[in-house]
Amino acid sequence: MTMVCDLMHRGVLYCYPDDSAKVVAEMMADNRLRSVAVVDESGEVWGSISMLDLLKLYGKDLEGTTAEKIMRPYRIEVDPQWPVEKAIDLMKKGKIDHLLIIDPHAGPKRPVGILTSFDIVLYMSHVERGTYEQMLRIPTTS
Amino acid sequence: MEETVMHVMKRGAITCSREASVREVAQIMAMNRIHYCVVVNESHEVLGIISARSILRAFGKDLDFTKAKDILLPYTITITPSSPLSEAIDLMVRKRIEHLIVVSDRPGSKVVYGLLHGEDLVFAMAGRKEAKP
Repeated sequence: MTMVCDLMHRGVLYCYPDDSAKVVAEMMADNRLRSVAVVDESGEVWGSISMLDLLKLYGKDLEGTTAEKIMRPYRIEVDPQWPVEKAIDLMKKGKIDHLLIIDPHAGPKRPVGILTSFDIVLYMSHVERGTYEQMLRIPTTS
Repeated sequence: MEETVMHVMKRGAITCSREASVREVAQIMAMNRIHYCVVVNESHEVLGIISARSILRAFGKDLDFTKAKDILLPYTITITPSSPLSEAIDLMVRKRIEHLIVVSDRPGSKVVYGLLHGEDLVFAMAGRKEAKP
């Protein structure tokens, strides 16, 4: 049985609630992400900001808007030990692309990873992660 | 001057036919590292788009027998290169889609010109020049 922890990305990129939207945009652009988690100083997750939440601010004052204002509050708890079908069901029903994974062993509301719809596409296509990069790599003699 | 879609869009799109199996579409997406695939007919007119989330709809079914036409989101929104950017962004946010298909502005023609990616808009917001290849 495939579990959520087999497919998820380990580690979460996060910002603080009082960071400006500009910081979030830079974070997304530089790391080529489509969502960023919002955590408080103690490391508890408050919510997440997706690309679409950020796009609402296009052409508006980015410096003057805080992450707290545009984030969606975090409500769905996904355990890394769940079967992957359960997570896919949640994505389909809630029309969400990114699920934050919370490990109860790491403490309450501590994000340990993220599962995206693209991870599921990779899983279904049977194309290994990194195949594309390996195909492009020029063989070296060393 | 008002910013139009033309200024941010990328030309060209990765496409598949409506008879392609879901496994093929998933492989096209995985190999090209893209989160969408545009479905076109024989004369390269757009029929719809398949996003990473629409692939999930086929999860649990036979991937070789489910076709692209069974899971595609039908193309209903017309965005041309001369549409104002604010209108396009409004559509993306309202319909919760990250990619908009840009078609030719000749009436009756639905030939794909390119795509407007949410990612490119975020790049513009962050003040970065362009997405790294």
